[in-house]
Amino acid sequence: MTAPAQVLLLAQRALVQFPRNPILLGFSVMPVLIMYLVFGGLFEGVAELPGFPTDNYFEYLAPTAILLATVPGIGNAGVALAADFQNGYFQKLLTTPTSVGAVMLGRLLGDCVRLAVQAGLVLLLAMVLGAEVATGVPGALLMIAMGTLLGIVTFGAISANLAIRTRDAAAVQAIQPMAFLLIFLTSAYQSSNHIDSGVLRTIIELNPAEHVLRPMRELMLSGYDWGDIGIGFLVIAALGAVALPLTARNYRRAYS
Amino acid sequence: MFKLERAERAGGFDLHSPADGAGRERTQRVAGLHLFGWVSVFVGMTTSSPFVGTARSPLDELIGPARNQRLQSAPPLADAIVLEGLAKTYPDGTEAVRGISLRVAAGESFGILGPNGAGKSTTIGMLGTLVKPTAGRASVAGFDVVAEPTEVRRRIGFAMQQAGVDDFATPQELMVLQGRLHGLRKHEAVARAGLLLGIIELAEEADRRLATLSGGAKRRVDLAASLMHLPPVLFLDEPTEGLDPRSRSGIWDTLDRLRSRLGVTLVLTTHYMEEGDRLCERIAIIDRGTVVAEGTPAVLKATVARDATLEDVYLYYTGRAFEDARVAA
Repeated sequence: MTAPAQVLLLAQRALVQFPRNPILLGFSVMPVLIMYLVFGGLFEGVAELPGFPTDNYFEYLAPTAILLATVPGIGNAGVALAADFQNGYFQKLLTTPTSVGAVMLGRLLGDCVRLAVQAGLVLLLAMVLGAEVATGVPGALLMIAMGTLLGIVTFGAISANLAIRTRDAAAVQAIQPMAFLLIFLTSAYQSSNHIDSGVLRTIIELNPAEHVLRPMRELMLSGYDWGDIGIGFLVIAALGAVALPLTARNYRRAYS
Repeated sequence: MFKLERAERAGGFDLHSPADGAGRERTQRVAGLHLFGWVSVFVGMTTSSPFVGTARSPLDELIGPARNQRLQSAPPLADAIVLEGLAKTYPDGTEAVRGISLRVAAGESFGILGPNGAGKSTTIGMLGTLVKPTAGRASVAGFDVVAEPTEVRRRIGFAMQQAGVDDFATPQELMVLQGRLHGLRKHEAVARAGLLLGIIELAEEADRRLATLSGGAKRRVDLAASLMHLPPVLFLDEPTEGLDPRSRSGIWDTLDRLRSRLGVTLVLTTHYMEEGDRLCERIAIIDRGTVVAEGTPAVLKATVARDATLEDVYLYYTGRAFEDARVAA
């Protein structure tokens, strides 16, 4: 069996596994939807501020909701990986002629598909609430792709490495709230221009997630800014260049 | 009825080992008649069904060419497994295995006995390519475990101390995935999984989530998954640890049937003396990472006393009672 075929089989396994845990499924999507509705309702008035990029706050919030679905959402993949270690299944896979790389990529691919579906659901809800994607379906897909990839290279890598190191699902779960920090320290809820604190604005500028969220919001509200989109993908690529080899190394060393 | 249906569905059986190229010849030599043996087990169990009777089953017809092929194949190598000064020191400085040298003949049933912490699982882990040795060398089915791990994995089945199963999968799914990762086509994997689930008497649980099955059933599924690609060498790490006597007896019976009809090389670790006595033709007693005694159970016992048990043998060679050693570990 070729390596790509092994990757597909293992991705399929990761995808089948997820909906079979209704608690995991429910708790990975529901909080995002609730947050979207609650924050959207609470801060609706923000859209009336002069210079705010849209008069529909739910539209402004939609890319944030996508990131909330993908970045903390990928943590469940780390939990599932830790469970594989705890119940010995990861070891079992390593006794087959499957490479560690295929095991890692299989899970990664499965998680990408799952996150994209979750992000799509959130975007659909936004549209039900009256939001429109200025760039249409291609822009929506691009937004979902950026959100999914950011989730994989940030919290996905962190949770996978933690799972490999600790082999403890509870430990992986414990760091999940940290993922929200990555998003909250952006212009997720408020345009940077309307934030008074200079310190906070600096932190936001230094946060890599901001440089992915910004082009996503532009795709939602205005159109294609290829410069910002390019920067977004560069940030993702840079994070991936650090995170993925480190994760691969830890996968390889999982049993030695 | 199940067995007959499964036998008919087994029409796509690939009777060739997934070994490839230069490796195939070596596998055939190590395996000896093992493929013929594997099919005999399936046929034997299938034809024992009252629905099949003495008529030639579909599997019988399928194995004809394979039987001839196996009979014409080269005689088996003398040793399926060779360890030479194999050692493992973990990064924290723990010397789990301190230079073990052993040879296991093709088709032999070999037991590694010792208390918890003696180095049994590390040894079998190194043979199964899960743990990297820090010194010495080992080969399985003619392939070096460090230099050629993938070739080794193609030729081994490995049932874990802790049943390595995905609780969210069903036994059928788990086994089919295992077979496919070993290179079986989907219909072959499905047919083989069905046969094996029948053999381990879990056919009715084929589509239930593993999370809902008992520990004993999970162990049997893990064992069956390890057999999906009909490996010439089977490693079992504490195969009955933590099981109730009935489940333990069930696994012993299954292993007995496999051993007597297959010619597969079986290596198991255990700290149950009774298990070693029941299943193993030859035994190595390991203590603190080294082999302190090796031989057939009868010879080992005879060196100690006329009515000695394996427990007595352990006490004789290590200077402490087996249970004490387990507690100390």
